[in-house]
Amino acid sequence: MRNKLALWLATALLTAGPVAGGDTETILRITGSIDQPAATFDLESLRAMPQTTLVTSTVVTDGTHRFTGVLMRDLLDSVGASGDIVVATALNDYIVDLPMSDFHDYDVILAHAMDGAPLERDDKGPLWIVYPRDDHAELQDIRYDYRWVWHLSGLEVR
Amino acid sequence: MRRGGSALWLAPPLVAVAAFALLLAFSLVRMIHVENDMRVDAEQNMLWVMHQSEVAARRLSETALLAELDKAEAGELALRFDILRSRFLLLNDGPQRRFVDRIGLGEDLDKLTALLDRIEPQATAPPQEGAQGLHAALAPFAQFFARAANKSMIVEWNELGGRLETYRDQLRKTIVALIGIMLVGGVLTAALFLALRHSRQRNRMLRQARDFSGLLIASSGEGIAAVDSAGNCTLWNEAMADMVGRPAQQAIGRPLSDLAGFFDLAPIRTGVARALGGDSTQLRLQPLFRAQDAPPLHVDLRVYPMLDEESIVGAILFLHDASDRHAAQRKDAETRERLEQLVGERTRKLNDALQRERSATDLYRNFAAMISHQFRTPLAVADSALQRLLRRGERANPDEVAERATRARSAIAGLTRLVESTLDAARIESGQIDARRESCDMAALLHTVCDQQRAAAPDARIQVAAERGMIALCDPVHVEQVLKNLISNAVCYAAPQTGVTVTMGRDGGQVVCDVHNAGTPIAEADRPRIFERNFRGANSVGAPGTGVGLFIARTLARMQGGDVVLRPCDSGTIFRLSLPRPESEAS
Repeated sequence: MRNKLALWLATALLTAGPVAGGDTETILRITGSIDQPAATFDLESLRAMPQTTLVTSTVVTDGTHRFTGVLMRDLLDSVGASGDIVVATALNDYIVDLPMSDFHDYDVILAHAMDGAPLERDDKGPLWIVYPRDDHAELQDIRYDYRWVWHLSGLEVR
Repeated sequence: MRRGGSALWLAPPLVAVAAFALLLAFSLVRMIHVENDMRVDAEQNMLWVMHQSEVAARRLSETALLAELDKAEAGELALRFDILRSRFLLLNDGPQRRFVDRIGLGEDLDKLTALLDRIEPQATAPPQEGAQGLHAALAPFAQFFARAANKSMIVEWNELGGRLETYRDQLRKTIVALIGIMLVGGVLTAALFLALRHSRQRNRMLRQARDFSGLLIASSGEGIAAVDSAGNCTLWNEAMADMVGRPAQQAIGRPLSDLAGFFDLAPIRTGVARALGGDSTQLRLQPLFRAQDAPPLHVDLRVYPMLDEESIVGAILFLHDASDRHAAQRKDAETRERLEQLVGERTRKLNDALQRERSATDLYRNFAAMISHQFRTPLAVADSALQRLLRRGERANPDEVAERATRARSAIAGLTRLVESTLDAARIESGQIDARRESCDMAALLHTVCDQQRAAAPDARIQVAAERGMIALCDPVHVEQVLKNLISNAVCYAAPQTGVTVTMGRDGGQVVCDVHNAGTPIAEADRPRIFERNFRGANSVGAPGTGVGLFIARTLARMQGGDVVLRPCDSGTIFRLSLPRPESEAS
């Protein structure tokens, strides 16, 4: 409910400044047990962080792709996140609980580009949580497949 | 025959093991198949994809309706449109598209994709203008996704059912294989158990047999030892330890020759070597010397090869203590020897007795001959002297009477001497004379005898060369007689006008006295016999005598540890008397 409200707020904010657009739009909002009430990120601020590239296959595409983004643990550390669960919310109202341990056990990234091109909202963008599926056999499991959240818009640390 | 039997016996377990391996491989392959098949691919979650797509379509349709009523933001409409577009991108992407084709909705999807592209300007334009009719245009989308979801469900469930059936089938086969494995395992276990029991039984029997032979060996009175092919001791029983004087602890593992010198003797070493070569050996009454003062044993030894099934693994030695038998044999031998000795002694005594008997006979015969020969002359001399005296009667003057009487007496005295010496010889021969032994001054004795001789024969010239203090160990009475015999002999046989020389001196541990007279030497043929009793040499014809003088002289000298010998001489004859000197002087 609260997420929905936040989404609404975000949408309102986005639409408030039609000229704003581009890379300075807020695309991610982190809430919950972090060192501030709410942290927001736009594409530019994400790109400013240390970037990681990951080549892997996915279950919804053929072949492998090169994903570029930020390590989830770096992102969460940057906002002082402390908790066991991260609830990820997507623009299409998809919600899933991600264990915090995943980000420490694996180099899970928050990808903003695939094969060098930015992820678009009418595809799987603007942000997609990508697990290094090809590097770890245990990640090739449907119980990990549902953690690949695309259209990501919010994270709540619990 | 046995070999074939054991191979047959081995066949069932081998077959079981083969079956076991086969079944195990079969079930393993099955399991790997199932394991591979059991992966669930995300593409099989198409029901959820269709549902999400339907939700996106309905949300867009709802937003379009709101926009028509002017109750929705333009951005909201764009977002919903983007989300629906992303679903189409997803559905047209590899795995999803293939599934859609499979359920036969590919064409419909293409049409809807084209439709979505066509209505895009409407969705992105300002709501007031673009929203008109958008709601109506979106109607087929939700309908399509509902149908697609329906079909997805059926296909997925069919596939799932099929897969489950395959799994069940695979598992059933695996279960059958596992039951087979269990059965084979049971057979193998039973075979193993039987084999174990069989082997335990055989082991027990072997152990019993071994214990029994161990008992036999331990309780045997015979010493038993065994060696391996290298010659080291492997068995050493109690009796052997007693015989050799070495406990088993010291014996086991060492070469036999280290344990007792007995085993190093050539015949025993050869016996053991022969046994190791396959031949047995028996040795009787071998002396076994034991440590320290223990008396030696005499043992019978038997050595046999010890055979494995086909090769010689060592040798076994049996020692039987045959000391008793040996002692009995020796006693027999001793008894026999003593008997022989006894018989010999008796024979000798009988011979001696016979000899004496013969001597007596000879004596009498010789005596008679001698009397007839020797006695006649003096008797005739005495008779004629006495006849003259009778004839002359009173005419005879006293001087004549004395002269005739003296001649008669002298003849009688000669006769008496002959009788005495004959009796002496007889006494000596019958062993009735003993000799004392004491230190005597030989020179003094010699002078006494020479004085007597000179008195008896005033014509005789006797020269004596003797030092004083010639001490000999002898019986003076006997020595006097020996000297008397020798000197009177020498005087008797000396050539006319010659003398007798007596020389006394020391020769090593002896006092020697040489009596020499010039005259006819004793004939060569007579020399070996002159010391025989009653033997008279060729040169004694015409001389008075009984032939016993030298015999008596030699016998008496020998009784005292001395001797009388005839020495070689060119002129005349030398007899030597030798007598031992006392030990204190003889140096």
